[in-house]
Amino acid sequence: MDSDFPAVLRPFLKYAGTHEINADTSLREMGLDSMRAIELLFAIEDTYAVAMPDEFLTDMTFETAGNLWGIIASLQSGSERP
Amino acid sequence: MTGTLRTGLDLALGEVLAAVDDHAPGADDGAVFPVQALDAMRSTGLLGLCVPAEHGGGGGTLADLVDVTVELARHDMSVAMIFAMHCQQVLTVVRHAEEPLRDRLLGELAPGRHYLASVTTERGKGGHLLSSESETSIAADRLVIDRDAPIVTGGLHADGFLITVLTPEAISPAQVSLVYADRADLQIAELGGWQPLGMRATQSVPMRLTGSVPAGQVIGAAGGFHDIVARTFGPLAHLGWSAAWLGTATGALSRVLQYLRSDSGRKQYDVSSELLLTRIARVRSRLETVNALLQQAIRCWEEYPDLSGAPAQLLINTLKIQAAEQCFAAADELMELAGLRLGYLRDSPLQLERVFRDLRSASLNYGNDRLYLVNGALALRDRQVHFA
Repeated sequence: MDSDFPAVLRPFLKYAGTHEINADTSLREMGLDSMRAIELLFAIEDTYAVAMPDEFLTDMTFETAGNLWGIIASLQSGSERP
Repeated sequence: MTGTLRTGLDLALGEVLAAVDDHAPGADDGAVFPVQALDAMRSTGLLGLCVPAEHGGGGGTLADLVDVTVELARHDMSVAMIFAMHCQQVLTVVRHAEEPLRDRLLGELAPGRHYLASVTTERGKGGHLLSSESETSIAADRLVIDRDAPIVTGGLHADGFLITVLTPEAISPAQVSLVYADRADLQIAELGGWQPLGMRATQSVPMRLTGSVPAGQVIGAAGGFHDIVARTFGPLAHLGWSAAWLGTATGALSRVLQYLRSDSGRKQYDVSSELLLTRIARVRSRLETVNALLQQAIRCWEEYPDLSGAPAQLLINTLKIQAAEQCFAAADELMELAGLRLGYLRDSPLQLERVFRDLRSASLNYGNDRLYLVNGALALRDRQVHFA
């Protein structure tokens, strides 16, 4: 997981407080709901210059920081096919 | 459901409806729980409808649950809501409880004597299901609960409760578990009264529940209520409520049509009036729209085991929004059609006044405003616009 990724996530996690954010962090438990998930999506697309296919916009993708980073990394490397 | 079971269900429903018709006006007047209707739902076994047949229950499908709810609501919306929400709890046990709790609870629920209420509201978070401020702890292998809830439908009469609480080790308000509690394990304090505009007979009073339950009575994973909501609890709430609202408006339209076709109705109204015919048609098309959405949502439930995808969530949320808006609009239009005496007066045999008050609650019950926002966010996830 990119070392800057927690800082991208944190503004959208209303319960994160000072908790460490690692690959296993449950985004939902840290306060990511469906409304914030869309705002986070836009932030990710701007920050990492990727376009997230609709097929990946599932609850599973947004389940943990690691899941979400995995999708971003694969889109950046061009290995992911929608 | 087999033909024999269906006949048994019709007989049970007939007995319950007789109790509903006798007591609904009084329960509405007094804003008190329809105990006679609940007694009839227990004695006929109707409360066991959604328990699988292999556990001795009615083996009813979601379509059966919806049909019974619509029929009850034609007579009284409060009773229909009480029944549908009980079935929502039962199906949550069926789909998410683990053994040995599941087997024990379904055995108790199957004969239909056991009435379940849910405790999901909390002061300070409104109807937000997925967060909680109710802390718990573990003592001697029991989960200690102290739960304050502003709205508990049927709480004074339930034999058991499904309660949302924080997990004992929670570090965030989103770590919510669903817990089963027998009434005998709780001290229950009624914290206030219930004087709403409509759905008065649900007697959804504020309560405080304190006590402890065996630690193994968590339904699903610890902190896993969000998964239960996505797959079962949320969709069944919207389906059950929508069935209750559709049935309420359907009963109202039917009573108006029967009156218009009667001798006194034909003397009072010009049934060839274009205004009257247009109003009837508009009401009917509102109900057709809701029924079509309801039937499509039932198909979606049966065909998609996972309802968490955006198209399925959008369909079920849209059902709830449209049922709330269209059924209330239908009641409003029927009142306009019937006029002041037959439409607006409380003692009118058409009962439009109670229907109007009851259906006004629909858009507020898990607020439509909030659900529109959720659907907006979900729609942005689905650029190609897939329908479930």
